[in-house]
Amino acid sequence: MGLKRINKEALLSGGASILAFLLLWQWASSFTQVGQLIPGPVTTLVNFVRSFIVPIGRHTIVYHVGVSLLRVLAGYVLASILGICVGLVMGWFRVLEAIMKPLIEVLRPIPAIAWIPISIVWLGLGEKSKLFIMFLSAFMVIVMNTYDGARRVDPVLVGAARMLGANDFQVFKTIVFPASVPQIFTGLQNALSVAWMTVLAAEMVRSSEGVGWIIVMGMDTGDTAQILVGMVCISIMGFVLAALMRQIERKLCAWNIRGV
Amino acid sequence: MLKKRTYTLISILSVLVLIFIWELCTDILGFVGPNVMPSPLAVLQSLLYKMDHTSPDGATLIQHIGASLQVALSGYAAGAIIGIPLGIAMAWYRRVDLFVRPLFDLLRPMPPIAWIPIMIIFLGIGIASKAAIIFLSAFVPCVLNAYSGIRQTSQVHIWVAQTFGARNTRILFKVAIPSALPSIFTGLSVSLSCAWSALVAAELLASSRGLGYMIQINRMFGRPDLIITGMLTIGIFGAVLSWCLNRLQKLLVKGGRY
Repeated sequence: MGLKRINKEALLSGGASILAFLLLWQWASSFTQVGQLIPGPVTTLVNFVRSFIVPIGRHTIVYHVGVSLLRVLAGYVLASILGICVGLVMGWFRVLEAIMKPLIEVLRPIPAIAWIPISIVWLGLGEKSKLFIMFLSAFMVIVMNTYDGARRVDPVLVGAARMLGANDFQVFKTIVFPASVPQIFTGLQNALSVAWMTVLAAEMVRSSEGVGWIIVMGMDTGDTAQILVGMVCISIMGFVLAALMRQIERKLCAWNIRGV
Repeated sequence: MLKKRTYTLISILSVLVLIFIWELCTDILGFVGPNVMPSPLAVLQSLLYKMDHTSPDGATLIQHIGASLQVALSGYAAGAIIGIPLGIAMAWYRRVDLFVRPLFDLLRPMPPIAWIPIMIIFLGIGIASKAAIIFLSAFVPCVLNAYSGIRQTSQVHIWVAQTFGARNTRILFKVAIPSALPSIFTGLSVSLSCAWSALVAAELLASSRGLGYMIQINRMFGRPDLIITGMLTIGIFGAVLSWCLNRLQKLLVKGGRY
């Protein structure tokens, strides 16, 4: 009973605050000068629904989202495969750690977004440079988390395996890898949201389709309605991607559910 | 097992080998031309040249750094000063949590970069819009980490304080906040890296000075040496800022492994 009451209260107050926010926005857009700059929530919703049918630029919103998602996915998959391998190897083999860690430490403080101009010089304006940026943004996060996970493996477990006669590779396969899976997932989750942010930046700097293009085009043509539609879309996709990752994590490593 | 010094030696060697390969491919063997990938020596020369020359992008490296730091630090400070107390209040007072949390969750999935066009329309292309973007990107991790830090306060500690007759606010300041400090600092360092990359994004899109502007405009001028100089500077300053934060954490946070 108590739980139900709390849920009801949370729902009510949450609804109230969101409603208040929307009302304030609606009021500001219809009765103050803000209205000259941005349309209200109702108009935005109408525009958002309409964008499924009426194309923005040359394509409907579904196509734009699809393009952005494909860009993220391509870089992300590549980065996860390579990143997990490199991270694990770095965390377990000391010599390889000594070789690779300084290189990664040198590159790590440079945000992936700062690579956009040079990647355009190297790879041109097309998809190749975007793939490179997406790869880089996800790779760093995944490597660092995997490395951390592999380093923090319980030494007692490693010792026990050694005592039972496991060699270096066996310890790596049966202990270090499974024990770092939760950390790897943290990395994968963070990498996905970083990649989703980076694809926006990449598309805003140079592209001719995608959600980043929608908002930057809206800015260039002074069409705030279009910017808001893009932002709603980006927000929904960001939420969906994060929820998806949480579900996958719940399925794959059920023994370790983190909060948040 | 090799000695620790051997590993350090391998690390240094690995960086040197990388730089040597870079030099080999550019200057010595000429696999890639200087208009695609400049040699490390050329980058070093541009770095020194850029210190006190404004060409070709209208400001010296020092001025770019100053502009970027000004924007980044003002947005970051605002994000931390508003975000941390908000996170603490949300975690400690149920009423605040009930009303603010849904709004916060509604706006959270939006990457700060997506705010750039709207901010430019509202605040112009000056420092205000960029600082607002950086504020947003620093704000969210600060709130989240302060929130989870306070939430993880040991119940036993709270009971002890209550047994000794401490009032709610006193428990907050004497027990909950000190024990949440490591988590708050995690938030600060996450925000710092978010803020730094949001800064680059904001400057790539609209600005007339700053490190992001420098790398973007030099792409248009076809000067990859200056792009790489700019990138290295961005990296170095990102690292320096997070090092400073680390020192601050060591000074302020007592106890714990952090």
